Amino acid sequence: MRLKFDEQLDLLNKELITMGAFCENAIAMSAKALTEGNPALAKAVPDLSQIDHKEREIETMCLKLLLQQQPVAKDLRVVSSALKMVTDMARIGAQSADIAEIITLANIHATDDTQIIYDMSVAVIKMVTDSIDAFVKKDMQMAKAVIDYDDVVDSYFDKVKKMLIELFSKPETDGEYAIDLLMIAKYFERIGDHAVNIAKWVLFSITGNKEG
Amino acid sequence: MTKRIFRSICLVALTVFLASVVLFMGVLYEYFSNVEQAQLKMQTTLAAQGVTNEGIDYFHDLKVKNYRISWIDTEGNVIFDSASDIAEMENHLERKEVQEALSSGYGESRRYSATLMERSFYSAQKLDDGTILRLSISQNSILTLLLGMTQPICIIFVIALILSIVLAIQVSKKIVKPLNEIDLDNPLSNEGYDELSPFLRRIDSQQKQLRGQKTELLQKENELNTIIGSMNEGMILLNQKGKIISINPAAKKLLSADTDCIGSDMLSLCRNLELQEILTKALHGERGENIIRLYGESYQIDADPITSENIVKGAALFFFNVTEKEKAEQIRREFTANVSHELKTPLHSISGYAELLKNDMVKENDKIPFAGKIYDEAGRMIQLVEDIISLSHLDEGADDMQRENIDLYTLAEKAVQSLEPQADTLCVTLELSGVSAPLNGIPQLLYSVIYNLCDNAIKYNHENGKVMVDIQSKNGVIVLSVKDTGIGIAPEHQERIFERFYRVDKSHSKAVGGTGLGLSIVKHAAKIHNAKVDVKSHVGKGSTVIVTFPK
Repeated sequence: MRLKFDEQLDLLNKELITMGAFCENAIAMSAKALTEGNPALAKAVPDLSQIDHKEREIETMCLKLLLQQQPVAKDLRVVSSALKMVTDMARIGAQSADIAEIITLANIHATDDTQIIYDMSVAVIKMVTDSIDAFVKKDMQMAKAVIDYDDVVDSYFDKVKKMLIELFSKPETDGEYAIDLLMIAKYFERIGDHAVNIAKWVLFSITGNKEG
Repeated sequence: MTKRIFRSICLVALTVFLASVVLFMGVLYEYFSNVEQAQLKMQTTLAAQGVTNEGIDYFHDLKVKNYRISWIDTEGNVIFDSASDIAEMENHLERKEVQEALSSGYGESRRYSATLMERSFYSAQKLDDGTILRLSISQNSILTLLLGMTQPICIIFVIALILSIVLAIQVSKKIVKPLNEIDLDNPLSNEGYDELSPFLRRIDSQQKQLRGQKTELLQKENELNTIIGSMNEGMILLNQKGKIISINPAAKKLLSADTDCIGSDMLSLCRNLELQEILTKALHGERGENIIRLYGESYQIDADPITSENIVKGAALFFFNVTEKEKAEQIRREFTANVSHELKTPLHSISGYAELLKNDMVKENDKIPFAGKIYDEAGRMIQLVEDIISLSHLDEGADDMQRENIDLYTLAEKAVQSLEPQADTLCVTLELSGVSAPLNGIPQLLYSVIYNLCDNAIKYNHENGKVMVDIQSKNGVIVLSVKDTGIGIAPEHQERIFERFYRVDKSHSKAVGGTGLGLSIVKHAAKIHNAKVDVKSHVGKGSTVIVTFPK
């Protein structure tokens, strides 16, 4: 009985990592399309169906586990945090796709303005990668580091805002371009928040406490 | 074994006990019977004398306790009996002892009573008058004897049983002890039973064999581990569930994994989706390969299924670093593209001008400049082809070129002289300074090094700029430096200017001219002379190229 349960938990773990890999891939491709200012690349960002499908799959798996195995203690924490984590991962995927969509509108070109958003995207990708790494390695320190790193991303967002305010004050600014930049920055900021959520759920699955 | 020995000993002891009881009883009984018979005979003889002397009166005085005495006449009728009434007694003539006595004078017999509980001895003697005197004595039979002895026998039996059990326990333990204490690790060192020595020898030889095989196996494993461990390529073995069974140091380093990863999923080491794809393929029995970028480098990853009897038992992943290969490939592709482009451009103008001339669409006094342009472009092409030829020559290592003892300074003088007109046209001052520097090298190559460096220094210069060529010989090295006051090279280009056809100005501008191969030739020529090329440059201030030759 326990053997089968262990196998199922193992599979759940594997599926979650795969889901994480999908998210990393989506966000990395969006960021690449952004820095190269290449709408064609943005079109190659996988649409949501793949990630959504995986999300459903993992949710079903979690519910099945809860019903059939009625896990307790740590197992219960693992399954319930998986159920929550997968939602955050799906949101990361969705927002990456949103960024890609904005880029396909071709208002964005690789300029000095995008450099700061590029730096921001690097920071966000690091957060997402680290949060999934923390999950893979069940590493509390890493999860806490991700939570702390959110401040860096927030400060980037502030910088982008300041830059955009300056940009708006210039008469020759293309408004659509500026707003697109703002949206992208906001999406990245949101992705960072989701990475923080994932890290918190990792902490919860290890300690039973979302704050570690 | 102890139990079995114990049981056997007990059984043997009891059997011996019972047998000896029976035999002992039998022998004793027979002995006593014989003694009794002899006594009876003696008594009969005594009684016979008595009867012969005294007649019937003998019986009156007779006090018989143990014996029964009867007197039988010749007809077999009992005349006297000490135990029973003679009237009731039957004729005794047919009795065995009587018959014997009648015929031989003395007879005897033994008879059991009806219940078998008693045995009677009879002894008869014929008297002188022909009558027969018979004595008889009854004796307990062996059964009665046995029954009577039941109690002592039982006591003896119990004692014997206890004794035999105690002894059997000790003996069987003693017998088994050497067996239990056998040292199977050193079979030949055992002293105990000779009967075991064939087994022990066999065990010893088998152990030796086993040890030999184990050493061999370990050796092979070590060999394999050494090979896998020293491989530059990463190798990972996975079982059919995709769990890592073995990972070599190269793969560990590449995926920054530790030994704990054995038994975990491949996904926890590397979340690359393409890698997962080919791995899944391999676990379904299909070979997969792909070139994947991991951690900033390109890896060709092969995933091979490991099958046994057509069932996939796992997969093997191999990581080959192909970054260098890809780079080389890229450079080669770019080179080909550049060569064709560079060759095509002058050809286009040549063919354009030639077409105009052919169709006689050129004014008479334009014909000379047109021909001049065709000549110039053709010259460019020749220069380009020559450069390419000398480059490919250098690629081959310039083996067929003769090394000579020459003076670098003299070569520099020649180069500067031939570039003087060009420098004048661009209003650049060309200066040569330094000392004589004798060197063993290939003159053509050394000349082209100086020529190309100076040529670039003149071309990429400002008006009224300066080019200073300096040759110094010191500390065992010859240093050639070409310094200009030109436009300079930005740091990001400095590394790449030695690549073929690489130009800082991407427009391949014709205004400057040149083939884009000059510095590439310099690099290769320097390499053949084991020389080092350094570039120091500031944008807008000028550049210095320093070539250091070992003497």
